[in-house]
Amino acid sequence: MTAIGPQAQIQVAVPPRTRPLAGGSRLEFVLMHAAFLAIAAFFLAPFVWLFTAAFDAHAQAYIRWPEQLTLDNFVQIFERYAFATALQNSLFVAVSTMLLTVCVVSLAGYSLSRIELRHKAWITYAILLLQTMPLSATMVPIYGLARELGLRNSYLGLILIHSAIELPFLVWLMKGFFDSVPRHLEEAAWLDGRTKFRALFEIVLPVARPGIAVAAGLSFLSAWAEVLMVLILVDQQGMKTIPLAFYETFRTAGGYTEVQYGLVAAMGVLYVLPVMAVFFATRRLMVRGLMASTRGL
Amino acid sequence: MAKVEYDDVWRQFVGQERPAVAGLTLDIADGEFLVLLGPSGCGKTTALRMLAGLEHPDRGDIRVDGRSVVGLEPKDRDVALVFQSYALYPHMSVRDNIRYPLRVRGLSSADQERRVTRAAELLRIEHLLPRRPGQLSGGEQQRVALARAIVREPRVYLMDEPLSNLDAKLRTHTRTELKALQQQLGVTTIFVTHDQAEAMTMADRIAVLDAGHLQQLGAPDDVYQHPANLFVAQFIGSPPMNVLAAQREDGGLVVAGGWRIPLPRLRDTGATTLTVGLRPEAISLTDDGHPAEVLVSEPLGSEVIVNVKLGDALVKVRTGPDVRPQAGDHVRLRADPAGVRVFDRDTGVALA
Repeated sequence: MTAIGPQAQIQVAVPPRTRPLAGGSRLEFVLMHAAFLAIAAFFLAPFVWLFTAAFDAHAQAYIRWPEQLTLDNFVQIFERYAFATALQNSLFVAVSTMLLTVCVVSLAGYSLSRIELRHKAWITYAILLLQTMPLSATMVPIYGLARELGLRNSYLGLILIHSAIELPFLVWLMKGFFDSVPRHLEEAAWLDGRTKFRALFEIVLPVARPGIAVAAGLSFLSAWAEVLMVLILVDQQGMKTIPLAFYETFRTAGGYTEVQYGLVAAMGVLYVLPVMAVFFATRRLMVRGLMASTRGL
Repeated sequence: MAKVEYDDVWRQFVGQERPAVAGLTLDIADGEFLVLLGPSGCGKTTALRMLAGLEHPDRGDIRVDGRSVVGLEPKDRDVALVFQSYALYPHMSVRDNIRYPLRVRGLSSADQERRVTRAAELLRIEHLLPRRPGQLSGGEQQRVALARAIVREPRVYLMDEPLSNLDAKLRTHTRTELKALQQQLGVTTIFVTHDQAEAMTMADRIAVLDAGHLQQLGAPDDVYQHPANLFVAQFIGSPPMNVLAAQREDGGLVVAGGWRIPLPRLRDTGATTLTVGLRPEAISLTDDGHPAEVLVSEPLGSEVIVNVKLGDALVKVRTGPDVRPQAGDHVRLRADPAGVRVFDRDTGVALA
């Protein structure tokens, strides 16, 4: 390769390649890499299956390259299995959960960070204790409560429950973020003439933006993926979210003996895509936020 | 512009043994540059924050132009505070930082623009306006913080150690500029610092605080020449005042090493044990004084600080740049009678 001008300089700056396993024999190198590849293949296999089976008219329970690429599976799930409704329900519930959660954890985290309270340590530990409770232990009382309050088969019920699941952890996370926002910033805003409430919105929240992105991302993902509570709270066709549609398609389309793998895989693809979209849209804020959550902003 | 009064103000934090501010009474004149000086933990910042409304006094009253501000929210006090950390809003440009207090007040955008430009010109930061605070040096951030305070034209400026994050050279430079700026604007300013040189150079009057109590209030010269007690005597001045235990003998004073120095007229003659205070410049090296041995000389260019051994005490003497006694040399000391200060050793109170 001939390099001229600036390129030549760049080449000089590249450090000499070091062997990744310095000192090892050639056999060692080959064995290590074979092991790495095997592990990577093991973890990637389900995704490979998902993305090949979804476009395969005769998908099987093992990985195979489709004889003919087709979108038929996608057409079918929308036309015959009302997947659009499930997608809509899931999206609406997850986005609403995210909005509600972000509002609540921002205010709660700020309060725990800033306001002098009696027994504040106990309050914060009590919140953490809630997080450690196994969700399945609360299944029966939640079912009972939801039935009494008319929250079964309702968006509100799902949104409230999904928010509640993630609240304790995210309140803690946000408290940590607010702790790392210097108090002087909001004090300066008060002296500049702002009320405490507006200073929170104009100064503190924008500075804590990476934290809010993390809270938003995590609450969306958790609501999107939640199965157990949906199973308990929803039995009406029109209210089903994706995990339920999934389950039902698996059960009814051909039954257990003749599972329509192509349909299930197509649903899986559409289930995974929004998650990836959310991640890529917010990845830089998320990474900054997650890093900051362990060492302050 | 405004007159500020602290009237017997107390503040004790939960879990602290002693009050942070104890019975502070202080009148600050319109347009005055008052420095609150003291070591860390002396209550100076708490006193400042109480005026800003960021802390609340347990007792006592704080008035601006005769009107109590104790019940007012910070936003309603019309005071500007420059923080030690500058507290610039990191997500806004420099322009928006300076404009923020004007926007809050709902000024027209033409008015905002005019005042931002004027403040930026005054502090020579026009070229920084489009940048973010994170892209500025410490000195530049400090100027932006000042601009944000100035642009509001508040009744009182409060400054909480605004120079302490700057390097030594910039600090001295900014000191001069800040003093000139304050004289130009003529706005009452309360400036908190632990640096006695800052206090001496900038203040119209200095209020020295220690352990929450006001120790002395006076013009810099007054505080330097006539410290009210041993704490002030040793806190102000670099190098600090020489402090020596003394006995009264035949109408004079005898200190360490048997050095006899003249006894000034005492305000209260009841004190039994005395301490003598001598500024390094109140001692001179002469031919006919008390003999002493030189430990080390510290040449500072314009002057030399000679450390001499006197009995078991160490005494610092300030001399001209051409006097360079070597370690081990024998010199003779003479105390300037006008520079002799006497304190009650038990209470620390100045007697002369």
